[in-house]
Amino acid sequence: METPVRKKKLGLKPRYTAMTRDLAWNTTYQPMEKVFPYDRYEGIKIHDWDKWEDPFRLTMESYWKYQGEKEKKLYAVIDAFAQTNSHLAISDARYVNALKLFIQGVTPLEYYAHRGFAHLGRHFTGAGARVAAQMQSVDELRHYQTEVHAISHYNKHFNGMHDPVRWYDNVWYLSVPKSFFEDAFSSGPFEFLTAISFSFEYVLTNLLFVPFMSGAAHNGDLATVTFGFSAQSDESRHMTLGIECIKFMLEQDPDNVPIIQRWIDKWFWRGFRLLTLVAMMQDYMLPKRVMSWKEAWEMYAESNGSALFKDLSRYGIREPKGWKEACLAKDHISHQAWSTFYQYSHAASFHTWIPKKNEMQWLSKKYPDTFDKHYRSRFEHWRELHKQDERWFNQYLPMLCQICQVPMMFTEPDDPTMISFREMEYKGDKYHFCSDHCKEIFTNEPRKYVQALLPVHQIYKGACYPDDINPESPGDSPIREVLRYYGVNGGQDNGDFDSSHDKQNFARWIGGENVKMEGR
Amino acid sequence: MTTQKTVDFLKSLDTYEPDASDNADHFYNNWLIYICWENHLMYCAPFCVPLPPSLPFGALVGDLMPELYGEHPEFEQIDWQRTKWFDSDKQFRADFGKSLEHHGLRHKSLIRFNTPALEGSRVSKGAGQQGF
Repeated sequence: METPVRKKKLGLKPRYTAMTRDLAWNTTYQPMEKVFPYDRYEGIKIHDWDKWEDPFRLTMESYWKYQGEKEKKLYAVIDAFAQTNSHLAISDARYVNALKLFIQGVTPLEYYAHRGFAHLGRHFTGAGARVAAQMQSVDELRHYQTEVHAISHYNKHFNGMHDPVRWYDNVWYLSVPKSFFEDAFSSGPFEFLTAISFSFEYVLTNLLFVPFMSGAAHNGDLATVTFGFSAQSDESRHMTLGIECIKFMLEQDPDNVPIIQRWIDKWFWRGFRLLTLVAMMQDYMLPKRVMSWKEAWEMYAESNGSALFKDLSRYGIREPKGWKEACLAKDHISHQAWSTFYQYSHAASFHTWIPKKNEMQWLSKKYPDTFDKHYRSRFEHWRELHKQDERWFNQYLPMLCQICQVPMMFTEPDDPTMISFREMEYKGDKYHFCSDHCKEIFTNEPRKYVQALLPVHQIYKGACYPDDINPESPGDSPIREVLRYYGVNGGQDNGDFDSSHDKQNFARWIGGENVKMEGR
Repeated sequence: MTTQKTVDFLKSLDTYEPDASDNADHFYNNWLIYICWENHLMYCAPFCVPLPPSLPFGALVGDLMPELYGEHPEFEQIDWQRTKWFDSDKQFRADFGKSLEHHGLRHKSLIRFNTPALEGSRVSKGAGQQGF
């Protein structure tokens, strides 16, 4: 009797092809261009979708298996963290404010990324690109969920973490990440890829994740570190997608090059402005510091980035227009941002403080050319006021940049004593910008940005008051009413760390007192 | 500065003519006016305040400025007669009896003022530090 011939199992590559691209078909009831309208209108020309190199080589089946394993490990750590009250092991309660910034400003971006990639996963004509986008969409949703779960334990013990989704849609500083991402996913699919996969995830992502995750490691936050490890392998896949997609577009047609260059210019600058929040977190909010923003910028942007753009020059791509200005700004933006949050801390949803003496020394050492010269004196002035029980808060609302929506706090690239102003007129109205590059983003697509909702203007329109308030006369404390609308508990979720419940509670807990959380 | 032309690379599947969000009719008959005391960086950014076009310039100086900038240690020493006023980059003479509108200001104008002898962040305070 002959042994039955076993059917040969498919190898990795054919199996992958069978389970992804081969599942696609060309439509016949409706023409393909009507079924896939979105990947044509931006002007990007694709001649052969089969040239798309799949960066992942994962089938859905292996994807589930692989992610499921990671999930099991992550949730075991998160559970153990909660059961052993590991929030008591962090370096200092000030650290939790970095997590507040993360859950308020970064986590919602994961959800937006999920939506953006789901859109791409439907609308690319090429099946390979659709599959890659679908998997990333699932990744991003999973990141959103695991971040919420990892950080939720802190919400039981600290203020300022109870309503991040509502804040993301309303609060002034969170309009910086929100407008960034809404700009990206209201663009066409190729611009979205250039914005998120390439400019953000490939060029800048290390500057976002490394500071937060190493910050967590240095400050005893095991839950967040474990999330970081769990997300890391996904992030490297996303970075691969970022570089593959840009090369694919560039290789398809020379007419694509100037369009992509303009997108790289725009999205590098938008990403850089967004990272101002991370720069501040890194230099001011971590009780145990990892490295300065300037060092991180030099390592991850200057050296990696210049090699990247050298590599892309064979396609006719040069470094982004704002590159040199971003490099010059590395000495300034974290100090400018902390000064801003310090004075508007009563209108935010986390605490701020004046750096301690040794922390000021660290800042002098890391920023030998700028900290003592330009920034130390204002912090010392505020420390003196605080000592006299006159903690200073700025009571009037700031002017914002029409594009990045950051308060106009950036100084001229060649003069740190002067605010940088740019402006222009469009259809009878004036528009103001923080920089040449934000202005250029406007001049390239004015119809898109005239409809920006700037949080300060929204307040003056009366769009941010609770129903029981007359927007024309909001009473003696408009900021209090706006906070009520935002759902921020004034004086509890915000203000100076020194007088916070967070500080008092943490001191009592680590002192061994078994007391309930104040302020709930 | 305000004459630069736009190119409009914006692409859309259909006609797309959104309204501007912040034109003057949204602010209860006020204009939004931006105000910046040059070189005084204790205030992280210029202010944005809603003001009636008929507001006398003297009221802006006498009533509003102390509210906005009064906590700066140099504020008391300001000599308003010697202060230089700019509508964005264009210098103008302030007439305290006349309205904002009379000065050629309008919705979303930026008023910058410069106080000679009080130069905040430009002044050396010794030990390699400058002021704020």
